[in-house]
Amino acid sequence: MPHYAKSEEWLRESQLLLEARPTTVSSPRPFASICHLSLFPSPFPDPVQTRITTKYAIKVPKVRKPKTTDADADNDTPVPTAKPARGSLTFKTYDPISGVTLKYRTSKAAEVSRLIMCLGKLSRPMAGLPELKDEIMTDAPAGEGEGGTPAAEKSEAAATTSAAPPAAQQQTPAGGGGGKGKKKKGKK
Amino acid sequence: MGHLSNDEFFTKLAELFDSRKGKDHGHIFLTQKRLSYDQPPLPEPTSDTILPDLHPPRPLPVLIRATNGKGKEDRAKKIKLSTVVDPEALPAFFERYADVCKAGMATLKPRDRSKRKTKAKKKKTTTAAVGA
Repeated sequence: MPHYAKSEEWLRESQLLLEARPTTVSSPRPFASICHLSLFPSPFPDPVQTRITTKYAIKVPKVRKPKTTDADADNDTPVPTAKPARGSLTFKTYDPISGVTLKYRTSKAAEVSRLIMCLGKLSRPMAGLPELKDEIMTDAPAGEGEGGTPAAEKSEAAATTSAAPPAAQQQTPAGGGGGKGKKKKGKK
Repeated sequence: MGHLSNDEFFTKLAELFDSRKGKDHGHIFLTQKRLSYDQPPLPEPTSDTILPDLHPPRPLPVLIRATNGKGKEDRAKKIKLSTVVDPEALPAFFERYADVCKAGMATLKPRDRSKRKTKAKKKKTTTAAVGA
């Protein structure tokens, strides 16, 4: 049961799994009829779908008991439970027949919307739709990590091109964006 | 239980998240999978397409479920929600889904801005020192 450290890896593997096996039994009817006649119960009563389960868990982190030298102190002082409840989010892609399980766990709120959009992306092979051709989008953040300045230039260029057609009113925010990009360059 | 419409599902899901707000324990499970029950049957496998489910003749809807994971002795408190999303509605659905989840998952760790603040402070102090 692999637990992926990066959500991108989880997304990729889940995508491959869902594309390969959206449902596990392709032709249940002949299988089921044969199995009904035989003594054994049907191992494939219905087509079984590969599913993604998202678990949102709220838990109070365990409070470590302070090591005290004398036992009497334990009884008097109640264990401090000041720690707030912490949530965690676990994504699990599971194919029930082959038993393939792919997991990714996070506790960051910043990742939620991106990961739900990943679920949206993964729902395409579920529905039997072809994969969207947005490879450029997924490649862009990787390029940014490798070399900061070309990506910054790109975004700047994109900002200017997108801001060019509308009227003069919108040029001021575009200018501000350009300024920001320049500042970033200066930093690096 | 019948399936809810997408709009009803979102309002109920928001309620489900709200019911866990301020609590220090609990789970919410969200599941999604292809809906192949009660759908037009797939073509018989041929030598070309051994697995007809890989390329269905028309896109299939996706079933979304949400539950608070109560069972056994707590079964009376169990909340189960489900909805069916048509393939055309998937992008719009997941945009709203992301918003509802983001609003509901309040106990996740917020973005850590302390580092950036300390960096900014450091910069200010250094510039001040240079100026002086």
